[in-house]
Amino acid sequence: MTTVEPAWAVGVCTGVHAAGSRDVVYVPDNPLSHVLRVFEQRFRDVRLLLATREEEAFGIAAGLYLGGRLPTVMLQSSGLGNSLNAITSLLMPYQIPVLMVVSMRGDAGEWNAAQVPMGRAVGGIFEALAVPYATVESADAAAETVRLAGKTAFGTRTSRAVLLPRRVTTGS
Amino acid sequence: MTRLEATRVIVEFAGDAPIIASLGHPAYDLFAAGDRPQNFYTWGSMGLASSVGLGLALARPDVRVIVLDGDGSLLMNLGSLATIGLLKPQNLVVVVMDNEEYATTGGQRTPTAHGADLEAAARAMGIAATATVRSPQELQDRGAESPALHGSGPLFIVAKVQESAPTAKPPLDCVFIKQRFMSAIRTPQSSIEGAAL
Repeated sequence: MTTVEPAWAVGVCTGVHAAGSRDVVYVPDNPLSHVLRVFEQRFRDVRLLLATREEEAFGIAAGLYLGGRLPTVMLQSSGLGNSLNAITSLLMPYQIPVLMVVSMRGDAGEWNAAQVPMGRAVGGIFEALAVPYATVESADAAAETVRLAGKTAFGTRTSRAVLLPRRVTTGS
Repeated sequence: MTRLEATRVIVEFAGDAPIIASLGHPAYDLFAAGDRPQNFYTWGSMGLASSVGLGLALARPDVRVIVLDGDGSLLMNLGSLATIGLLKPQNLVVVVMDNEEYATTGGQRTPTAHGADLEAAARAMGIAATATVRSPQELQDRGAESPALHGSGPLFIVAKVQESAPTAKPPLDCVFIKQRFMSAIRTPQSSIEGAAL
């Protein structure tokens, strides 16, 4: 069986690694399964940690940072709603940086109406929180977009997010 | 045993070990029992103390990490027990101050007042070393055990405590708490220490 490594997923992993992050706390979704597989196959020095819920993932990430690690949290956009109290009352006041990699639902190409309201709100929520975010516009841009977000987040002790739109992750 | 008495026991057996305290009364009592730079007082993110402790325990396997949680707080993030049970960090100790009420918000009863058993939940999630204690001596005896010594995995203790009105309030500046804490556990911080070019 050949496992296909989508170029965008290789780019995301390359960017996370290049930003110095070796710990990825995640709640999985379909597109992120490709990223997880690339990490497992190509980046053996990256520790993958499953969380039961996105808010928990941010708590674990905060503890990793206190111990000297540079944490990434990977989540689906639907999980951003589950994360807001952790982001606003732990990461922000303590200046604990996390690189967020957000797999988008509810954007162009979505088939499930239940995903649309939150997906549409993601940009506005990050703006309301003053969390800088960037969108991966193409597979080719993934590595550099993620690396820059991570470098800036860890360098300035301010969390940042990278959005992975469905047209990039699913080609839809 | 009041929560403050239990907290004093924990500070005693902690030695130099970092303590992550859940917001509200657990953090207030930790400060009253003994402020130390290795105390990480949370001021928000209810439910996440055990998750923060887990992350730190994974980052620093050389350090024993103690979490001071509350029953109401842990009930907000029970999934944390499954994650701890999955990863089984040998150096993590979670103590739940179970007063069976949301004391910080006025004493509303929590499900543990009606039989919800957090120790049983921890065991069901794969945490093998667990205890429920009701006296300072029992807490002292369990806390003095080093799980790493006999490879029994993370330690989870429910301390049944009586509510006692807090007498002091920890520092309010979150960045100060973090920087002091990271310095005390020797996590490099170029942002305050500078670095060679």
